[in-house]
Amino acid sequence: MIRVEGLVKDYPMAGDTVRALHEVTFEIPTGSLAAIMGQSGSGKTTLLNLLAGLDGPTAGRYWLNGRDVSAFGVVEWSRERNRTIGFVFQAFNLLPSMSALGNVELPLVYRRVPPRQRRERAQAALEAMGLAHRAHHRPTELSGGQQQRVAIARALVGDPPLLLADEPTGNLDAETGDEILNLLAALNRQGRTIVIVTHSAEVAARCQLVLRMRDGRMLPAAAGGGA
Amino acid sequence: MTWADSLRTAWAGMWSSKLRALLTMLGVIIGVAAVITLVAIGNGASQAVASRIETLGTNVLFVTPGPGTPFTTRQVAYIRDNTPVARVVVPLLNSGGQLSVGTSTLAAPVVGTTPGYQALGAIHLAAGRFLVPADITFNRDAVVLGANVSQALFGAGNPVGAHVSLLGQRFTVVGVLQPVGQGPGTSQDNSVFIPLPVAQFLLSTQNLSAVLVGASSPTAASQAQDLLTNLYTNRFGSASSVTVASEDQVLATLSATRATFTNLLAGTALISLVVGGIGIMNIMLVSVTERTREIGVRRAVGAVPEDVVLQFLLEAMVLSLTGGALGVGAGLVMVHLAPLFLKTPAVFTPSAVVLAFVFSTLVGLVFGLYPAVKASHLHPIDALRHSG
Ligand SMILES: Nc1ncnc2c1ncn2[C@@H]1O[C@H](COP(=O)(O)OP(=O)(O)OP(=O)(O)O)[C@@H](O)[C@H]1O
Ligand SMILES: [Mg+2]
Repeated sequence: MIRVEGLVKDYPMAGDTVRALHEVTFEIPTGSLAAIMGQSGSGKTTLLNLLAGLDGPTAGRYWLNGRDVSAFGVVEWSRERNRTIGFVFQAFNLLPSMSALGNVELPLVYRRVPPRQRRERAQAALEAMGLAHRAHHRPTELSGGQQQRVAIARALVGDPPLLLADEPTGNLDAETGDEILNLLAALNRQGRTIVIVTHSAEVAARCQLVLRMRDGRMLPAAAGGGA
Repeated sequence: MTWADSLRTAWAGMWSSKLRALLTMLGVIIGVAAVITLVAIGNGASQAVASRIETLGTNVLFVTPGPGTPFTTRQVAYIRDNTPVARVVVPLLNSGGQLSVGTSTLAAPVVGTTPGYQALGAIHLAAGRFLVPADITFNRDAVVLGANVSQALFGAGNPVGAHVSLLGQRFTVVGVLQPVGQGPGTSQDNSVFIPLPVAQFLLSTQNLSAVLVGASSPTAASQAQDLLTNLYTNRFGSASSVTVASEDQVLATLSATRATFTNLLAGTALISLVVGGIGIMNIMLVSVTERTREIGVRRAVGAVPEDVVLQFLLEAMVLSLTGGALGVGAGLVMVHLAPLFLKTPAVFTPSAVVLAFVFSTLVGLVFGLYPAVKASHLHPIDALRHSG
């Protein structure tokens, strides 16, 4: 599903550059439940942004679903994110002016799904997250965990084959975190490829594949805890 | 994102901050209202000119000297002798003057003429009499007041027999005209009429401003026009020394002038509409900055740059078109109020509404485009990282 070779990301910083990724190479097969682990600042979010085409790499190549997407332009990436990638941000990134339902609908809006249909699908996605009763609340009226679940519902509403989640359980209590994880595991069993950035060894233990990062480098692959 | 979605979003956005939207639209509202009001006033002026000329009767010719052409009272006899088809020949000496009665004063067009003016059939007396031959023969200081002049100086009272001072002379009011209707400038209602020789004496001139020739039919008027044109061309060697124009021709010239005037007003108003557009652009730029994160989120879930352009462009259009609609409403109110306050007629034309709408649409498009394109050029990750 995902294959990257020699991925480099430099951030220009006041005359200097910060190298956030040093020639990262790895592969995540279709249908995996993969975890990316590493200390804070090791480059996990940077990597995930590149995988979603939200940012462009300084160097390196990237194959998504067997296609070389290294040279994708903004429009191609927009379509790719809209159809094949669900993304859960570390900071939720919900639109404060819209209800939970409106936020979850967004990817379908850009897929030009008719209003009634997308309303139904968004409602179903919220229901799956146990938030049906909060559909018409604004993000500011929701708890952190609830916001996280709205963000996950938004990532899943379009039924994308790949889900990239940046610490999806980071803001949740252990119980809710487990629920979310069970949900992701269930989605994975249905054939979806899921990549989770996490600090939690427990979470990593449930993944078939664990990628460990340190200072912008990928550590030699080690088998995960197995699921 | 579809058009319908973008429109809904734009509309919702406007409602969520009504005051800000209203302030943003204010420039466009004022611009559109100004276009409609000023065009209506311009049209009102044109129509006033038309009605003014129509009141002079349909078969009247205007014989007007060009600059520098000597044109004295003798021309009256000359025209009468040479134009048998003329029913009535009336000399005019136009000027302006300050009228005063006690402490009230008024500037008004002063027309020096003869009793024949009444024979043109354009004026009707409300009180007293018009100028009579004896006024001319004895150089009497007699004055006939237009309806508005009488109203302004004497109110509802009957001024006949009262004295007014005009051109440094004490005049006796001998008559008051019935109102013709609305009309600025030299409308009869605002004018005063005095005997021609008195006017010539007070203005120390022997010349005339024009001679009016009344014929008994359009054919006769046309004959008289050809005849007089030939006569004067032969006499002065040039067709422009003295112009002989029918009422229609004078009307055409005047309405051309008025059209220029109307266009000028409309142009001024359109400039204010453009200023309104700059206001919209300003707020849209602020809005793009404020909503950078939103743009990032939308891009992250699949919006292509065109979706972002459409969203912000439609927002600008909703602002400018709503402003346009409110401006049309304000304009209609002002068209009704303007005559009360400005004492000038205003004639509403639907084409002004179309003009205003077309322009406010253009304003929205033109001034909304830059902020919208700017928003669409944001890189998703930079937009998402934007704080605030
Ligand atoms: N926009 C940026 N400009 C400059 N440097 C950046 C930028 N974003 C990230 N970095 C740097 O790149 C490195 C990796 O950051 P990144 O956000 O990917 O870490 P992370 O592994 O996601 O950390 P965390 O677990 O705290 O979320 C850090 O050293 C960070 O300072
Ligand atoms: Mg991170």
